[in-house]
Amino acid sequence: MKRLFVVILLLAASPAHAMHISEGILPFNWAALWFAVAVPFVALGIKRLNMLAKDDLSFKPLVGLMAAVVFIISCMPIPVPTAGTCSHPCGTGIAAILVGPFVSILISGVALLIQALFLAHGGLSTWGADVVSMGVVGSFMGWFVFRGLRTMGASLGVAGFFAGLLTDWATYATTSVELASGIRGSEPFLPLFVKILVAFIPTQLPLGLLEGAMTAGMVVLLYKKRPDLLVKMRVITEKELTAHA
Amino acid sequence: MHHFTRHPQNDDHPLTRLDARVKLLSALTLLVMVISCRGIAFPLLVAGVCGGICLSLGVRPRVLALRFAEPLFIAGMVLLLKLFFAGTVPLFSFTIAGWEVVGHRDGLMEGVRIASRIAGAVTVVAAVGFTTPFTDLMGALAWLRVPKGFIEVALFAWRYLFVLLDDAQVVYAAQKNRLGYAGYRRGLRSFGTLTGALVIKAFDNSQNITTAMVQRGYDGTMPLLKHRPFRLAEVVAALLVVACMGALWRI
Repeated sequence: MKRLFVVILLLAASPAHAMHISEGILPFNWAALWFAVAVPFVALGIKRLNMLAKDDLSFKPLVGLMAAVVFIISCMPIPVPTAGTCSHPCGTGIAAILVGPFVSILISGVALLIQALFLAHGGLSTWGADVVSMGVVGSFMGWFVFRGLRTMGASLGVAGFFAGLLTDWATYATTSVELASGIRGSEPFLPLFVKILVAFIPTQLPLGLLEGAMTAGMVVLLYKKRPDLLVKMRVITEKELTAHA
Repeated sequence: MHHFTRHPQNDDHPLTRLDARVKLLSALTLLVMVISCRGIAFPLLVAGVCGGICLSLGVRPRVLALRFAEPLFIAGMVLLLKLFFAGTVPLFSFTIAGWEVVGHRDGLMEGVRIASRIAGAVTVVAAVGFTTPFTDLMGALAWLRVPKGFIEVALFAWRYLFVLLDDAQVVYAAQKNRLGYAGYRRGLRSFGTLTGALVIKAFDNSQNITTAMVQRGYDGTMPLLKHRPFRLAEVVAALLVVACMGALWRI
């Protein structure tokens, strides 16, 4: 019965749209630690941005607009049938595929800052933790999976699907680690981590699949409608494009 | 998204007119005090004061409720998790279908502590968000030596967020009117198309923006706000408030 009660409580927790760790939930030492982990990655993102912007003046506006797109995507509720509710995708998978992981970290940092300030979604004190989970882990996971599968000969759709799926799941696994370590108090880490991970499952298992499908759909749509953009962002080569045509 | 506005709530409020740098520094200090506080009273006091500020700005209670709904829900869930799954000292118990569920006193205290921290921190940031225009906040961050690349991207994102949001709403309404979200599979396809269309619009807009900006002398860097000198009265008032809060925090 106690297990049933746990399940009921955890299912009740799932509609929280809990993409980001809420403001104030992490104590100061953990908030500072995640901030210290996130900052070097964001700095590398800025360095990469400045390097790319030297050759192409439109790169900074593009990254700004991509940050706006990630903001909008991660504010859009989509239905999650198992939980009977709505949640939302990360959007960092597609950003990492298009502009690379480091610039994608910068994009998520900006999107998270705006969400924290004006939507109470995430927070300033948890900005570092959210950047690490959504930006660092999400972006690198999406980028590595996409590039890895493409190198192995997977189609754009398949590579996009798995990139989106694993971006989402990796983000939530990291969020669980951050939450469990931050709120455990005197409890042991592992049982709480498992509880939080289980709490995310009803929402994030299907949502990961949705994010995968969405990322695949977007990449395929770009390929059909504007393949020049994919060539410009080095997602596909000119050779691949002409070979297909 | 409907409680998300680009302008501060009340231009005539003294806090709206306060220098963004002073506001941001005071808010960050308060935030650090709240998240490092081991008690319950101080975060709740901060929540009360900052909630009162939000109401005095003329923010409608409905908007405030929407803004706070998610973090407060999470606070409630953390409280319940801690009550039933943490702690060792029984506070109460009840039986459901022959199974005993126990609430713990120390778990409840820990849960209330985290929940109060969330309430305090969320209201501090909300008060800043409701009283400060985004561009002023970015100016304050630039003054705090946040790298220019970050500020520039944030300013571009903020400027075109509302343009893309309007585009997204138009496409979403058109899709919905054509039953684009009737059924799970169809809804997913429509959502993919919508986000793909947004990415294409972002690319196209970035090209147009760059062309227009280059014609106006853009060379890759954007000029940021120039700050007026600090006003002594503002700084002294902020220091007094922070010192008072610091004293309460220590108690």
